[in-house]
Amino acid sequence: MPLQKDEAIVLTKKAYGESDRIVRLFTLSGGKITAIAKGGSKSQKRFMNTLEPFNHIRIEYFKKQTKTMARIENADIIESNSGIELNLKRICTASFFVEFADKLTKEGERNIELFNGLKGILDDVKNIEFTSSDIVFYLLRILGCLGFMPNFNTCVQCGRDVPDEDKVFFSRERGGILCPVCSQAIPFKSYPRGIIRGLSSFVRGDRCNGDLDFLTYAQDIMEGFISFHLDVEIKSYKLLKNLI
Amino acid sequence: MYYPEPIENLIINLMKLPGIGRKTATRLAFFLLNSDESYISELSRSLTDIKDKIRLCSVCYNLTEKDPCQICSDERRDRDTLCVVEEPSHMMVIEASYPNRYRYHILHGVINPLDGIGPDDIHINELKLRIEKENIKEIIVATNPNIEGNTTAHYISEILKGSQVRITRIAFGIPIGGDIIYTDSQTIKSSIENRKDL
Repeated sequence: MPLQKDEAIVLTKKAYGESDRIVRLFTLSGGKITAIAKGGSKSQKRFMNTLEPFNHIRIEYFKKQTKTMARIENADIIESNSGIELNLKRICTASFFVEFADKLTKEGERNIELFNGLKGILDDVKNIEFTSSDIVFYLLRILGCLGFMPNFNTCVQCGRDVPDEDKVFFSRERGGILCPVCSQAIPFKSYPRGIIRGLSSFVRGDRCNGDLDFLTYAQDIMEGFISFHLDVEIKSYKLLKNLI
Repeated sequence: MYYPEPIENLIINLMKLPGIGRKTATRLAFFLLNSDESYISELSRSLTDIKDKIRLCSVCYNLTEKDPCQICSDERRDRDTLCVVEEPSHMMVIEASYPNRYRYHILHGVINPLDGIGPDDIHINELKLRIEKENIKEIIVATNPNIEGNTTAHYISEILKGSQVRITRIAFGIPIGGDIIYTDSQTIKSSIENRKDL
């Protein structure tokens, strides 16, 4: 295999042996890859400060088809993670989105939209402190990139459009809203009027700073949906939840 | 190929050590099998001793045989300054450069949300209590200059805001013997920002 050049976001790092480092990267052209950097923990020439989580880097790597792991030859920083470390909430927010993307993608699946989405989030985290509303907004955006967006517009059972005033029944199992008729046959959780409509406007890209009630219910919907459908434990969310 | 059960068990247990595969474990097992009885007794005693005798110092959380540890009991050391490090091995490196100068506080980790490690999982709250109790004037935060180490340093400075203690961070810059050509922009920026008068 020839040497490949790509841009990547560093998702995780792990020390391996005396001086090597195994990293998981989300690359622009090749999706998620796991790669080893020989001397990655010590080399001051090739990898100094580059293979750190949340860095946006330029890499050169080899990947043999018979091997599961790529081998990084060189890495340079395009945009460093500087600014994320300034407080606990920022690093927890960045960790949450990076971990989410890491756990919900398969190796080698190219997803440019997700790459750009993740990059945008990391750039924003460096400059602003995310509110709960921002976190829900971006989470929906990432779910959209991954193809897991809950349905907030039509009934997931009969497919009919549900008017805004009737958007109160959410089926975690079916991954979307139910119309009043279908809600009689399918398990659901009901939410006050305006909550699902608010989430629906987030999906359209309208950002609003919802009140505390809205955010509590929105978090409940998202947590239920993610834990049922995606079945992954996001370690950083436990910490983030205490801070938002 | 299967070896007699005791040898097989030894191989399996040696394979649990980091960086040891089956081949190396087999070689080590046969080395032990052919070793003197006295060496085997010494080795097995050393292994049980590290579990039986080693504990954490109740003051600084260093690994020690007696509590408080030798460093905390040493009256010659600076009583106003505390050096905060991630691991006991990091303390040893600083101790080698400044023998008998500082006292330490070992966090046993750094804040790392990706691994689910938050401030309550390391000895940060104990640090705060210790600073108040021992009337510390300065803490030197000597965590690694990476994202986790820097976050931990910022968190420490945040929780100690308002206290009288001076909080300092080890300097970042080009290493002695390093080469500017190979230095990343973040390190260059840091070394320019933290430049010294000649």
